[in-house]
Amino acid sequence: MLNPLPGERWNYETATHLLNRAGFGGTPGDFQRLSDMWHENAIASLVDYEKIPISTVDPAWAHPDFQRVEALREAVKNANPVNAKAMRDQENRLQASRILELRGWWLDRMANGPRPFQEKMVLFWHGHFATSIDKVRNMPNSAYLMWRQNELFRRLATDNWLRLLIEAGRDPAMLVWLDQWQSRKEHPNENFARESMELFALGEGHYTETDVTEAARALTGWSYLPLYQSFTYRPEYHDSGSKTILGLTGNLTGEDFLAQVVRQPQAARFITAKIWNFFAGQMPSPALNQALAEVLTNNGYQFKPLMKVMFRSEEFYADSVIRNDVKSPVQWLVGSTRMLQCPLPPPFISSAILRGLGQDLFAPPNVKGWDGGMSWITTNTLLDRYNDAATIVNGTAQQLSPDDFARKAGGKGGDRLAKLAQRIHVGGVDVPKILTPEQCADKNQLVDALEHRLLQSTLSEDQEKGLRDFLSSKQVLADADIKTAVRLVMSTPEYQVV
Amino acid sequence: MKNEITLQTRREFLRSTILGSALSWTVPAFLANTIASLQSEAADSSTQIVTGTDNTILVVLQMAGGNDGLNTVVPYSSDYYHRARPTIGQTANSVLKLNGDIGFHGAMTGFKSLYDSGNLAVVQGVGYPNPNRSHFRSTEIWQTASDSDQVEKYGWIGRYFDSCCAGADPTVGVVVGNQLPQSFYAPKPTGVCFNNPANYRFLANQQTEAAYQEMNGTDMGGSGDMTGGGSGGGDGQSVASNSGDSIGMLAAAQPMTGGRVEDFIERTALDAQMSSDKVREIASRVQNQATYPTSQLGNSLKLVAKLIGGGLPTRIYYVSQGGYDTHTQQAARQKQLLADLGDSTKAFVDDLKAQGNMQRVLVMTFSEFGRRVAENANAGTDHGAAAPVFIVGNKVRAGLLGRYPSLAPDDLFEGDIKFNVDFRSVYAGVLENWLKTKSAPILGRQFPPLQIV
Repeated sequence: MLNPLPGERWNYETATHLLNRAGFGGTPGDFQRLSDMWHENAIASLVDYEKIPISTVDPAWAHPDFQRVEALREAVKNANPVNAKAMRDQENRLQASRILELRGWWLDRMANGPRPFQEKMVLFWHGHFATSIDKVRNMPNSAYLMWRQNELFRRLATDNWLRLLIEAGRDPAMLVWLDQWQSRKEHPNENFARESMELFALGEGHYTETDVTEAARALTGWSYLPLYQSFTYRPEYHDSGSKTILGLTGNLTGEDFLAQVVRQPQAARFITAKIWNFFAGQMPSPALNQALAEVLTNNGYQFKPLMKVMFRSEEFYADSVIRNDVKSPVQWLVGSTRMLQCPLPPPFISSAILRGLGQDLFAPPNVKGWDGGMSWITTNTLLDRYNDAATIVNGTAQQLSPDDFARKAGGKGGDRLAKLAQRIHVGGVDVPKILTPEQCADKNQLVDALEHRLLQSTLSEDQEKGLRDFLSSKQVLADADIKTAVRLVMSTPEYQVV
Repeated sequence: MKNEITLQTRREFLRSTILGSALSWTVPAFLANTIASLQSEAADSSTQIVTGTDNTILVVLQMAGGNDGLNTVVPYSSDYYHRARPTIGQTANSVLKLNGDIGFHGAMTGFKSLYDSGNLAVVQGVGYPNPNRSHFRSTEIWQTASDSDQVEKYGWIGRYFDSCCAGADPTVGVVVGNQLPQSFYAPKPTGVCFNNPANYRFLANQQTEAAYQEMNGTDMGGSGDMTGGGSGGGDGQSVASNSGDSIGMLAAAQPMTGGRVEDFIERTALDAQMSSDKVREIASRVQNQATYPTSQLGNSLKLVAKLIGGGLPTRIYYVSQGGYDTHTQQAARQKQLLADLGDSTKAFVDDLKAQGNMQRVLVMTFSEFGRRVAENANAGTDHGAAAPVFIVGNKVRAGLLGRYPSLAPDDLFEGDIKFNVDFRSVYAGVLENWLKTKSAPILGRQFPPLQIV
């Protein structure tokens, strides 16, 4: 189990697989550069990301805002109901626009930042500790709370398991999302207690209902100060009586509870299975899962050594793993712009696309996160992918009707957004950037080059024939025709696979 | 016509063999014919022919998040109820009384009117043994009809399609939404998903579309009968995807089939292409004849009414309404949701009556669990167990079915009411009395079918 991939199997194909899964893919040049390194060095170039300098600027509003929040609270308190509602609505609009900016900020880090693996881990943790703005927005300055959680996942991306659980549990957005901040000893709220065992650390069947109620008691006192937008511990909320959780008895706190959770052998199995599934695209066999769990526990529950072992292992490069996962919508969008070397659509368009495809960042469907895999593909989302491909390739959103846009943008303001989208032209694919004049002039070379860049594989014979028939119908290939050819390749089942 | 048969056969071929993708896109005619004849010989006697004009139709309505049944069908005369719910309890004055003890939540005027007109059955205290209080696990149990200590991958609707509708048009199952619910999962999954018919298509100029169809193997059947409007078609109605709820549409998904994911995507692409023209054509042609609330559920049911009116050959539609996970400040939220539920369903019934299709349609609601009898400190309720199921139709056994579970503290289990009716008895009743098929092969064993029609 988990033996290193033999040296002779480290090549362009396996390097492509690594960059696709550990990051968000790239150009043929990127894959070549990676495959020219030793396998270990290639992995280190992604996973030891701390060494890579980064100069991202945080959003201007990414800080607690005591004064503004207090002023707002006072104003709302003193206003008549109509004005109070107007003020709250205005705050909601402000936060909604910031969330949009935040989505763009994060997508840009994934698509253009120097640390794609770190961002892939952030995406994993976001789906794991799935927290949604749809509830957090009830708090003032909510965009900051979502940004702060995102930064937490970035800071601890490959850190220690218990530390992640505790910090994620005490994170303001999480405290609000799972109601923990309001839990008090008289009536402990079970939401976080239950989900932390069921969905974050152990899985169903590895704890009892008594463990849930006892853990809820232990967690009382973890709370949140809306005015300061920070965690606080409230001793007057805490139940200091004796509890028994997962076999441990004492005056347990929230930290004690999570430490006891991580002491369960199941805690390592649970998280390593989920990580393997996220990166390899399928659940590990029990034996592989056990081996992965041992790597985690033998390395002090640090994730970085685990990731290196995974990316080095033969199992990760098995035939049943390579090109046998469905691209997530984020992978599809970010990966497409990377391989086409074209700009990300502006945040409100990217955001609408991702929402339509089923992966609204900062708004997962529920606390379980996105199911992933084949659940990304329905008749509806597949056609959406084929149509959104035109948006990316042409750099315009003219494909989207106002009606469609309204749906994708969440039902409101669709008309206005669609009109705006009609006017936007972000460049799309710059043909000379991705194809040589020779490739553009020779239809055979063109088909090969498109397959190489877009699929890292080939189309079936009949699909290739369809593409050639289309190209043959043109005497001279204009850039617009080549862009259509790119979109056609993106409108195949093959393109949805990574 | 001949071409269409070839296409149909090819699709069946892809569905029915794991080798489907290994073959080239163009299936030689002699081979297709052989497969077609083999398949008709092997056809199971339980196979149901779906025409779209005379079969019965089931609409499954998911109330996602765990609806508080006690504040929906309210035991307003019970002291136990009022003691457990000092803050959020519904009073005798606020409920819509069904009898001297029980009433609907005051916001459910739509349901009250359906109840009074004999179109609504309330199945009281529906649940299952050893209830699970996790959203995901309990939803999975409802979706797969499994026992609570058994994990089943495939869904009860998927198994119905598998055993009764093999080879049917992919629109035999329609999900209004983005995601296939687990109840549709099957070794060979059947059913299509869409939100907005107007854009349920490959949007491109003619030449690009032709190339796309050639590349995706769907040009053989031709799209000569394409009658749907372009992107301007439809009536501007759209259905928002998941509304802003901490628990939206709950679907637990793992790969449904073994093998390469590409095969699964190919099949989905083919289903999308085959259903797209028809769905758009119906949605742009058929007019609604009732006024619906402008909610996600209202829009979903509006679309379903059109598709029924237009004769889409569908046996099961699936719609969902999210937001029932009311841990805090439940009153305002639940009121809004229940009003929407009642009003949307009432409009749907009115619409179908105006169409003359109501006698063919049955609506069944479900929620993954009810909530604890005692309210919590945040004027909300936590995850509980049994809850009512609603069944709407022309021929339902209207009224209160079963009996209201006891709220006496001694009768509770871990703070929850005990179920009286196993949800699989409700499913068995729907399968046997409404969809007219044997329930045991679909539900794994024979449950006493609840007589609902």
